[in-house]
Amino acid sequence: MTATTNSLLSEITVLLRGEAAPISAWTEQWNGRRLAVCLAVIVVGAGLYGAAMGYWRAPQQAFYVAIKFPLIILLTTFGNALLNAMLAPLLGLNISLRQSFLAVLFSFTIASAILGSFSPLAAFLVWNAPPLSASAAELSTGTYSFIQLTHVGVIAFAGVTANLRLSQLLQHLSGNSRIARRVLLAWLAGNLLFGSQLTWIMRPFIGAPGLPVQFLRATAFKGNFYESVFHALLRLLNLN
Amino acid sequence: MPPAMLPLGENPEDREKIPNAVSAIESILRKPRRIMYQLRQPGSGRLIFSMVMVAVCCSLIYGVVVGTFSMGDQLWAAPVKIAGGLLFASLICLPSLYIFTCLSGSQARLAEICGLVAGLLMLMTILLIGFAPVAWLFSQSTESVVWMGVLHLVFWFIATFFGLRFLETGFSHSKARSNAGLNVWIMIFMLVAVQLTTALRPIVGKAPTFLPKEKKFFLTHWGDNFNAAPGPKRD
Repeated sequence: MTATTNSLLSEITVLLRGEAAPISAWTEQWNGRRLAVCLAVIVVGAGLYGAAMGYWRAPQQAFYVAIKFPLIILLTTFGNALLNAMLAPLLGLNISLRQSFLAVLFSFTIASAILGSFSPLAAFLVWNAPPLSASAAELSTGTYSFIQLTHVGVIAFAGVTANLRLSQLLQHLSGNSRIARRVLLAWLAGNLLFGSQLTWIMRPFIGAPGLPVQFLRATAFKGNFYESVFHALLRLLNLN
Repeated sequence: MPPAMLPLGENPEDREKIPNAVSAIESILRKPRRIMYQLRQPGSGRLIFSMVMVAVCCSLIYGVVVGTFSMGDQLWAAPVKIAGGLLFASLICLPSLYIFTCLSGSQARLAEICGLVAGLLMLMTILLIGFAPVAWLFSQSTESVVWMGVLHLVFWFIATFFGLRFLETGFSHSKARSNAGLNVWIMIFMLVAVQLTTALRPIVGKAPTFLPKEKKFFLTHWGDNFNAAPGPKRD
């Protein structure tokens, strides 16, 4: 039991350290146990962080976000697997569908491990803040913004670190930093496009005090992330 | 000399046979030189036919995804229009491509040119299949025809970019003196394909008839759609 736990931990630390040679060897074949470890890290790590994020609104919201956060990561990985596998060889990196899928999965595993490690801190932050349902006097705009920005900062840190590791792996697989950068950018663009829309559909995450706690908003499938950004931009520039 | 510049067939990998459509798909993504080499060999007709069939199947599948935005009749109309439109655009552009390649001094035979266009179509459409999950997700979560039209056009442009890159690489092995003719043809092909999105409208939205009654240039059609699009919701 202890030996198995140690072996699992050592695989996660190899991923976190970004040791390109062993990680690259892992992409050479399917390994059910390793796949299960990655999925578990994503479900637990992103789930815990999601729970901490949603807990500010209500315990039920924490439960919902704990499901939604890992779901977004997994759906993005599976949804873009085919596209990522096609783009890599077209951009000069001749790897298989399995290799591209595992490379992306490993990078999301790293991000989830980081998020999971920050989840106690996020929970502590939320526990110290006035409840989201508090009156406007108690809950200042500054507190709300601070918590929002903290989440953005943690998620950005996890994302950037995971992508740095992915970039190192791609460089190892291709032996050429230009090709690695091209593939990374293409994969990032695809994942961003798909992931941001999934996130939009699966809102709310933090939750708004005036709105009920829900798994999905009634308007989940109405409108899209980019449309709303575009319209917000138009409003900001007073163009409508 | 970099491996990509070696004459076709010099690398033993180029000479490997392409027995079926799956192998053709894998080759065009990973080893496009193999396709280019096989297109120069006698009996390349089977490979060309397989590539066209793959392109038709993939465009039909992507068409169904496009049709899920409006559902109803569009579930069959969009695939038919997309697959038919792509084949039609290729067929009417093929003669001019052959003339341009001859004018540029290329040694490519007509079968090879047909094969390169079939490869362009196959690569484009399999890439569209890669984009299909993203397209489907957006089609289920937006009501804006303009937004969906723009998204499909962006996907089509990306897929066409890679397809045309395959065509250009194949062309570069045909001893042509200049690429000017090919570049002009690329412009023509793009214009024809984009105009077909207007001539075969609606592909994304709904209409009472299968084909439009009014003739329009694609820029006018796009302009009309942008102007008719509802403004942002204020909430």
